Amino acid sequence: MRKSLMLLMLSLVLMLVVSACSGGSGTAGNSGNSGSAGDTAGSTAGNGGDGSKGAQEITVWAWDPNFNIAALNLAKERYEAKHTDVKVNIVEYAQDDIVQKLNTGLNSGTTKGLPNIVLIEDYRAQNFLQAYPDSFRDMSDLIKPEDFAEYKIGPTSYNGKQYGVPFDSGATALYVRTDYLEQAGYTVDDVTNIDWSKYIEIGKKVKEVTGKDMLTQDPNDIGLIRVMAQSAGTWYLKEDGKTPNLADNPVIKEALETYKAMFDANIVKLNSDWSQFLAAFNNGDVASVPTGNWITPSVKAEATQSGKWAVVPTPKLANSASSVNASNLGGSSWYVMNMDGQDAAANFLAETFGSDSELYSLLLEKIGAIGSLKAASSGAAYDKADEFFGGQKIYADFAKWTEEVPKVNYGLHTYAIDDILAIEIQNYLNGKDVDSVIRDAQAQAESQLQ
Amino acid sequence: MKLIEKFRRSRLISKLFVVMTVSIVAVCLLTSLITIRMAERLFAETFSITNGKVLNQINTGMESFNDSVVNAVTYASQSGSVKTYLTGGDTNSVAMSKVYYRMAEQMGQIASNLGAYDVALTIIGVNGRSYSTDPSYWPVSPQELADDPLTRHTAAEPLRVLYQYDERDGKAGKERFIVASKALVDRTGGLSYGMLYIAIRETEFRRFFGNFTSSGNDVLVLDPAGVVVSSNRTELIGGKSPELLRDVETLKQDQLDYLNGTVFGKDAIILANELPPYRFYLVNLIDRQYTAGQIMNIRQVALICLAIIGAALLVVFVISRRLTLSLTRLVRLMSTITKKDFRNYISVSGSYEVRELSKAFNYMLDELNDYVQRLLETQKEQRDAELAALQRQINPHFLYNTLASIKLLVQKGSKETAAETINALISLLQNTISNANETITIEQELENLKNYVFINHVRYGDRIKVSYFIAPDCIRCEVPKLMLQPFIENAFFHAFNVKTEGTIYILISRTEHSLVCEVADNGDGMELDPNEWVPDHPKSRKLFTGIGIQNVNHRIKLLYGESYGVRITSVTGEGTQIRIVLPLIENVEAAGDAV
Repeated sequence: MRKSLMLLMLSLVLMLVVSACSGGSGTAGNSGNSGSAGDTAGSTAGNGGDGSKGAQEITVWAWDPNFNIAALNLAKERYEAKHTDVKVNIVEYAQDDIVQKLNTGLNSGTTKGLPNIVLIEDYRAQNFLQAYPDSFRDMSDLIKPEDFAEYKIGPTSYNGKQYGVPFDSGATALYVRTDYLEQAGYTVDDVTNIDWSKYIEIGKKVKEVTGKDMLTQDPNDIGLIRVMAQSAGTWYLKEDGKTPNLADNPVIKEALETYKAMFDANIVKLNSDWSQFLAAFNNGDVASVPTGNWITPSVKAEATQSGKWAVVPTPKLANSASSVNASNLGGSSWYVMNMDGQDAAANFLAETFGSDSELYSLLLEKIGAIGSLKAASSGAAYDKADEFFGGQKIYADFAKWTEEVPKVNYGLHTYAIDDILAIEIQNYLNGKDVDSVIRDAQAQAESQLQ
Repeated sequence: MKLIEKFRRSRLISKLFVVMTVSIVAVCLLTSLITIRMAERLFAETFSITNGKVLNQINTGMESFNDSVVNAVTYASQSGSVKTYLTGGDTNSVAMSKVYYRMAEQMGQIASNLGAYDVALTIIGVNGRSYSTDPSYWPVSPQELADDPLTRHTAAEPLRVLYQYDERDGKAGKERFIVASKALVDRTGGLSYGMLYIAIRETEFRRFFGNFTSSGNDVLVLDPAGVVVSSNRTELIGGKSPELLRDVETLKQDQLDYLNGTVFGKDAIILANELPPYRFYLVNLIDRQYTAGQIMNIRQVALICLAIIGAALLVVFVISRRLTLSLTRLVRLMSTITKKDFRNYISVSGSYEVRELSKAFNYMLDELNDYVQRLLETQKEQRDAELAALQRQINPHFLYNTLASIKLLVQKGSKETAAETINALISLLQNTISNANETITIEQELENLKNYVFINHVRYGDRIKVSYFIAPDCIRCEVPKLMLQPFIENAFFHAFNVKTEGTIYILISRTEHSLVCEVADNGDGMELDPNEWVPDHPKSRKLFTGIGIQNVNHRIKLLYGESYGVRITSVTGEGTQIRIVLPLIENVEAAGDAV
């Protein structure tokens, strides 16, 4: 009896100790509560590196939800239907953020936090490919460069290796308001395959008759200069992609002169941002829009203008013999990062943007995106007449022009020189001599880029 | 009352168990309740202190954002280019290009003040021009903005930077913003020439405090109207909570550290800071229930309590069971003892008290048995003495009368009969007086009876006949000595007072377990009084004065138990029947002798 009493007391004491301990650990856990809360927010985005375990997960970074992200979603849908073991994880960032994150990641020499696939604008592509060729996967084994528009291959390849999977075509065109032209006494034929001086001449007439400006420009965005340069097969930089090619480049000089002529002719409506740019033609303030084909959905957004638009080839430079009636503005391509899960990512690209013409037909139908895959341009969607443009088969035209775009090497410093030129152009517009403008720009570029 | 009565009467174990259960449960519950309460209060205190500091830190972050906003606004309002852009009219393309270019440059400068934050600047001029650093960030057109309440509020207070909550339907559904706005005022004329809006996404704004929140520890930013401007609990954003605003205002008025209140249907500790430049309140809500659950695993406490209660009850049950089990057994044994005999000793085991009790009880039983034994022996001795005494009480009248009859026979010359009578008397006296054995065989008893009947016939004549019907298998059965004689004597002297002659039948037979002796006559019969035994007859005629039919019954019951004895039935005018039931005891030795 005494023994069992002792046992009982012992067990009671034990229980008390146990419960006291658990109570104690509970309160101890509290003290860390407010401190550890900070860790939760940090680790949410960008975990592309984990792609290789279990079900394959591919992380893709891109910008623009209406265009690139929408296209990705279509590709993802089609691909995941066929490959149930793969999960494509699409992350949207602003383009500047992607550039910054890529630079940070690649600079630090780690792929941690970087995606499997990233979208890079063609103008910037060489910047990454030349600086970090080992960080990107050579796609030569999965896609054939000759399947794509020739001009897209320069920016997306390096040292003979095809790194990028070319995506959208930035082939340019001249969108014109046929009604305004008509009022000024012109037909669509009068603006087809013209040069820029003819364009300015027509612009003056249009302004005189209708009071509408011929085009709208943001003085900070000199895309039009780039369009002119590429139409003549030249660029800010020489073939090596590094040496500035401004001062002794007659094409650049003519482009600047043409640009100034437009302003001097007083046919340019100014805009300061993208929405104002869209508003300018959606509100009917301008008679034409010379830009990349990706503007088509925005032009069509104003349904009341249906039938009043036509699309004609981009004007060429009057005095540059090499200039043709086709050019490019913008456009980007997909790149696979050289890290875990690269084969799954590469396969995803090869099977979708790299070869799937049906996907491109869908892209065209759903989001009005024109790809640079040659095989895709023969699809039925491309042959469709568009009533908005008076029954013109604009997509077939775009596809044709895409193939005519002269090939140039965008090199490493497109945007740096763009910035320098934008400033110099302001000086030029305000009366500076054109030769000193390009000389000064050349000097600045050389000193800045070494 | 009934329950109490029932409880009072219930068994010891039930009582013990109920009391122990109630007390253990009560102790457990009270202790854990008190502990939880104390922990909660301690938690609230510490949490309010640390979170107060956290709120101050958030304040600092928000103030530096406000500083940037103010810097940007100041820069914008001092910029001539901006003013030109917002007030000038359209001229030629070249001049406009300059204006637009400068504007972009200036906006870049203005935005650089806010470079650390993801914001969009929008500026609208009186001339209808606008500029936005990122039109897709804050999807609102200048036309919409002109009529917006945001603009109206700002215009009403042109000297302040105003922070307002704004909702827009963006491409990805409803988007929420906090918009800082300020009218751009001409310093000389005092006229407003434009409006600057700095929009920050609520998700971005939330980062000022997002790192400090956790589930159960929420931060809300309230505007002066009680609208939740920003919160880590996204479902609350845009909703209006006047109750919370009232709580916060009381908190500020009374200068309390924290306040307990009910917010969005939950008990919460409310902490609040003012954000004067924003005119917002920064509110910290700590969900009492959730956080208490976090620090104190109620489930675990409950489980431990249950475990302790369970274990304690088990132990209590086992111990009290052991305690009361021996008591119960004791009680059960004692109760059977009273029913049966005193030889059920109790095995001495169990707790100390029970063992002592059992010992005492066993000792008592010993004493009792001893006493009973002695009593039985005394009784037996007494009975033997009694019988011996009885046997010696030969009625002198009987001897006298018998001897007188023999004398007459001798005088009449019937020598034969006289000799026979003397033989019978000798044999009768020899068997009854000398033989000290208590029981004799039927055979010997019959011999005695025949001698007695013979003497009676000699004395009184043979008008009363005696017939014997003895089952041969009963001859060797033992019966108490002088068992039948008193009944025959009785029949001789009482049964034939009216009738002058008749027969007495003596029948002895056996049933399965018993010996049945019957003495029946066909004489007068009698009225039997149930209270009284058969009336006794005059002493002079009896063989033994001490032995009567009355004490035959006594003797049988004493010898063999209650289930044996004498039964008399009698019908007036028809006769009397005596039935004696005895146990079947065969004397093997006597049988051998007889053969």
